[in-house]
Amino acid sequence: MTQVARPAPGKPRRLDAFTLASEPGNERLALTRVAGTVKDLGLSEARLERLKTAVAEATMNAIEHGNGNRAEIPVEVEVTLDGDDIIIAISDQGGEAHAAAQNAGDPEEPDLLKKLDGAQTPRGWGLFLIRNMVDAMNVTTDGQRHTIWLTMRTGGAAHAEHV
Amino acid sequence: MPNMCEATTRIVPGAAVIELSGDVDGTAAAILTSAYDRAVNAHDGPEPIGTVVLDFAAVDYINSTGIALIVSVLARARAERRSVVASGLSPHYREIFDITRLSDFIELFPDLDHAVSQLTSHAAQA
Repeated sequence: MTQVARPAPGKPRRLDAFTLASEPGNERLALTRVAGTVKDLGLSEARLERLKTAVAEATMNAIEHGNGNRAEIPVEVEVTLDGDDIIIAISDQGGEAHAAAQNAGDPEEPDLLKKLDGAQTPRGWGLFLIRNMVDAMNVTTDGQRHTIWLTMRTGGAAHAEHV
Repeated sequence: MPNMCEATTRIVPGAAVIELSGDVDGTAAAILTSAYDRAVNAHDGPEPIGTVVLDFAAVDYINSTGIALIVSVLARARAERRSVVASGLSPHYREIFDITRLSDFIELFPDLDHAVSQLTSHAAQA
């Protein structure tokens, strides 16, 4: 098995960076490539699967809500190793509009019983899944750029804290 | 790479089975709805179909839109007084069914044989 050299403390190391066209389905490309990049970093199979789901959902959000499914606007993905933390940054060009749309479309935690009773739309699971799949989730937004940061500790237990 | 969702249906004693393959995502909406219609309407026995089995053994990928489709199927089944069970989920997707609480409403079986065996046994006792 190939061992990926750990960065010195305090010196994050970029492992990969790539862009994707904003077309539905391209989240599969992101999850496959990220999984390949981190496969030798010691994540258990279960935690690797969780990370793949989080990457796919964050990329879907960027494609759909951030870039409006406009293929010519790229989604940017960057994978960094910072000590024991794998950090995935997924950026779109939706800026504040993405954050506002997300808040408007997903104003409350998904509640399955409400969804079954028609009181909530069946959709709205994306951010919920991301939060539950990774160890930490953060979002940064400026006028142009909206980025979701996913953190997975290579030796850690899984429960998301989010900001 | 993405694999289009496909669905085949069949009737077993006590239930209709929908065997899914490929990706359960937004592209699966019409396929899943159509499969559900076929599954519950193809039956010509004296009793209506009381249980729908969703078999995920050949499913590669389920995303949040796919979860929403499963929620829609469950909502429709409950409105029609049918139960839904699932089989063949990988450990990861079992975890997602737990996190979303789908597993509170959908009984999970390790594989289709276990699901059909139990449903057939219940049908024979009824």
